[in-house]
Amino acid sequence: MGCWFPSKTVGGGNAPLTLVSTRHYIVKRRRRRPGVFESGLCKIVPDRSKTNEPTYKHTGIYLRVESRDVLIMDWDQLELHPRIISAVRRCALSVRTVLCVSAPDLQRLSGLSRSDTQQLLTAAATACRRHAPLPALLSRGLQSSLRLSVGCPILDELLRGGLPVEGVTELSGESGAGKTQLALQVCLSVQYPTQYGGLNAGAVFISTEDSFPVRRLQQLIRGQSCLRSDVPPWLISSLNFSDRVYIEHAADLASLQECVSRRVPLLLARGLVRLVVVDSVAALFRSDFLASDWLERNRQLLTFSAALHHLSREYSTPVLCINQVTDVFSSSDSLGSSSSTGTLTVTPALGLAWANQVMVRLMMWRLQGTVSRGDQSSAPRRLQVVFAPHLARGGRGAGVWREGVRGLIETA
Amino acid sequence: MLGNASGEEQMKMQISSCSLSPAVKSRLTAAGFHFLSELRGLSPSHICAEAGVSQQEALQVLQAVRGGASRRGGASGGGGVGGASVGPFPSLTALQLLQEEQSQRSIFSFCSQLDATLGGGLPVGKTTEICGAPGTGKTQLCLQLAVDVQVPVCFGGLGGQVVVVDTEGSFLLQRVQDIAGAVVKHCALLVEDDEQRVAMTTFSVETILSNIFLVMIGTEAMMSLGFSRDSDLSISPQVRCHDYVELLAELHLLPDFLSEHPRARLLVIDSVAFPFRLHFDELSQRTRLLNGLAQQLIAMATSHNVAMVITNQMTTRLRGGQSQLVPALGESWGHAPTIRLLLQWAGTQRLATIFKSPGHPGATVQYQITSDGFRDADQSEQPPSKRPRTHTVQSAAGQRDSNQSAVGQRDSNQSAAGQRDSNQSAAGQRDSNQSAAGQRDSNQSAAGQRHSNQSAAGQRECS
Repeated sequence: MGCWFPSKTVGGGNAPLTLVSTRHYIVKRRRRRPGVFESGLCKIVPDRSKTNEPTYKHTGIYLRVESRDVLIMDWDQLELHPRIISAVRRCALSVRTVLCVSAPDLQRLSGLSRSDTQQLLTAAATACRRHAPLPALLSRGLQSSLRLSVGCPILDELLRGGLPVEGVTELSGESGAGKTQLALQVCLSVQYPTQYGGLNAGAVFISTEDSFPVRRLQQLIRGQSCLRSDVPPWLISSLNFSDRVYIEHAADLASLQECVSRRVPLLLARGLVRLVVVDSVAALFRSDFLASDWLERNRQLLTFSAALHHLSREYSTPVLCINQVTDVFSSSDSLGSSSSTGTLTVTPALGLAWANQVMVRLMMWRLQGTVSRGDQSSAPRRLQVVFAPHLARGGRGAGVWREGVRGLIETA
Repeated sequence: MLGNASGEEQMKMQISSCSLSPAVKSRLTAAGFHFLSELRGLSPSHICAEAGVSQQEALQVLQAVRGGASRRGGASGGGGVGGASVGPFPSLTALQLLQEEQSQRSIFSFCSQLDATLGGGLPVGKTTEICGAPGTGKTQLCLQLAVDVQVPVCFGGLGGQVVVVDTEGSFLLQRVQDIAGAVVKHCALLVEDDEQRVAMTTFSVETILSNIFLVMIGTEAMMSLGFSRDSDLSISPQVRCHDYVELLAELHLLPDFLSEHPRARLLVIDSVAFPFRLHFDELSQRTRLLNGLAQQLIAMATSHNVAMVITNQMTTRLRGGQSQLVPALGESWGHAPTIRLLLQWAGTQRLATIFKSPGHPGATVQYQITSDGFRDADQSEQPPSKRPRTHTVQSAAGQRDSNQSAVGQRDSNQSAAGQRDSNQSAAGQRDSNQSAAGQRDSNQSAAGQRHSNQSAAGQRECS
């Protein structure tokens, strides 16, 4: 299991790394006697020096892992006959490109026999795969069945425990539906320990639309003891909520991409953050492009969603994207998103290209009328599951109160 | 099983008892290696470095270590990778092929209308593509099939195993457990004879999960170190762009895995579009890779007798000023699957359309996704559609079609059974009964479904 990195990629001595999990590496360090390695478990520890590159610490030695070289695996690492290795070196193919060349082409390029090419392909494929097929029963331990609570038992029940820890969740709705309210609430609920539905880490909130609603966040923090009656009060007062919400502003696409590819991974790698909120994805992608530029827009959108997917799966971090909605003019609704609530003729923005990238799609509506709770009143909202691999289509009423978003107990 | 056991024993063997040259053995022991298991997982270069042997000797050592495994692999297809090297298939007459095909069970989907239209379910040994917009139930159908293929033979199932290649990260165990639980419950209700009772003792959610082999593409660490260094706008180009390489690598190795697991009857790739739609600037390269992939899939399906189920996304095509939803990955990919199934929404109804199949008439059927999985649409509970549109007429016609084809199917089953009867008297008889009853079963399941829903708190529809 795991992969041997070529020794040249690791600075500070010939030390190959074996990956054990996202946060642990086994480091083998050559000792004075040749051929003897010393190994130890290495944990990703934030390196407090001034450099921006991710640095990993292991018992006093700093191992810097260079970016590009890691992926260019060395042929020496593979279990192959030297004859094959030298032949493939001669035609300057990397391990990964070999897999993209068809077997006859490879035979022609390298001048190897057919069985040699097959061996070469098998070895390259083995090097590229992470693990052999695992029974799903075993992967139950690997795949976290953890859910991130949204902070309200009624809405959690709708979501079967909350947001999935791996995957992109989209929350769309008209302006004023309460999307940002729910997102802010999740930013706080992520900070609780896991037994209270959190992930025991902070959140990063990437704001592209408005300035970040700091006042509202403060209000929500004050309301936590009221909202989360299940959590002991001493725990709530011990958590320093506002220190663990990292706010990023992205005013254009370039800075959004920069943020998602640089700064957010740093926060995630340091374990400071385990929730990424983007509010909203639609704003920049809808404003920065002309209608004729849709091809370029889709390309950018795919790049962006690829980055989000990567972050989510890499660090097993929930990603919550807030999306705007767009009116539907034609009655043919292929996504089936606006059907169930009758009068509603809106569908999430950004079209199919984005919808294909989303694992869980939620929508929020603002309904007519008022609901009251104690001395407060609110416009009723509805949180609707549009699609998700594990959720039933259905919805719950909700209200936005001073202390946060709460589901309404369904009557009849 | 036996092969595994002998492999385990071999791992406990001492190095001194191996067939290696004495010089190599002494060097290995001097370097501190005593058992073969200690050498497993090492690369030749490390053995070279540690024991001071040449690269070639290190390779010999590793071959000795894996002797047991390679001997087993050698028995089938010379240990070669890819269907192409499995060797020429014997030429068969059309009659033989027909008999072979009819002796093969199909994987039923628990939606009797869909099964009837497909002539009993998804065919084993063929490639089926499921296309649809997000939220139409592609993943649900895949998960349902992954569970259904494991239904014991005495219940009319295949009692097989399944490999699921998940590229989107949408394989959620929670959902598989739901579906598996419903299927187990359904089978428990059907138990009539002792054989079925015995089968039920081992058919549980746990065994279902242990027979699903999961390959997750694009997860886990490894790439975490690949932060982009240059400051161009395209973000970390190497992060997920090599997903497709991972998928290709997996497909290279799957034939070996399938020969080690001869009970595997289904391979699911959910979805093939996801890795191939990102970061492909050069479309000709993509087409080439996809063609190669299609060939591999077809070869694997026929040589290992496995049903291939792949899902595909939809994309919008502008043609003549009109936009149209079409399956992604381009025209040439459309030739790869034998059967193409399109899942879509029409108002509040879910429709499945067969729009490519050599053996079945094009048809549209209704289905629904409940908390238990992929099921027949409940006609009685279906609200009348507000505006009768063309497709509802089509679907009605499609249902009539499918009924006819179901009748035809039963006929052919009987004739197949007649042939088999002469070979194996009792077993064949039961088989044919079951395959004919399979449709009845799934109707019952729909009925049972309605029942359980009433008892549970309302009907939940999953997407």
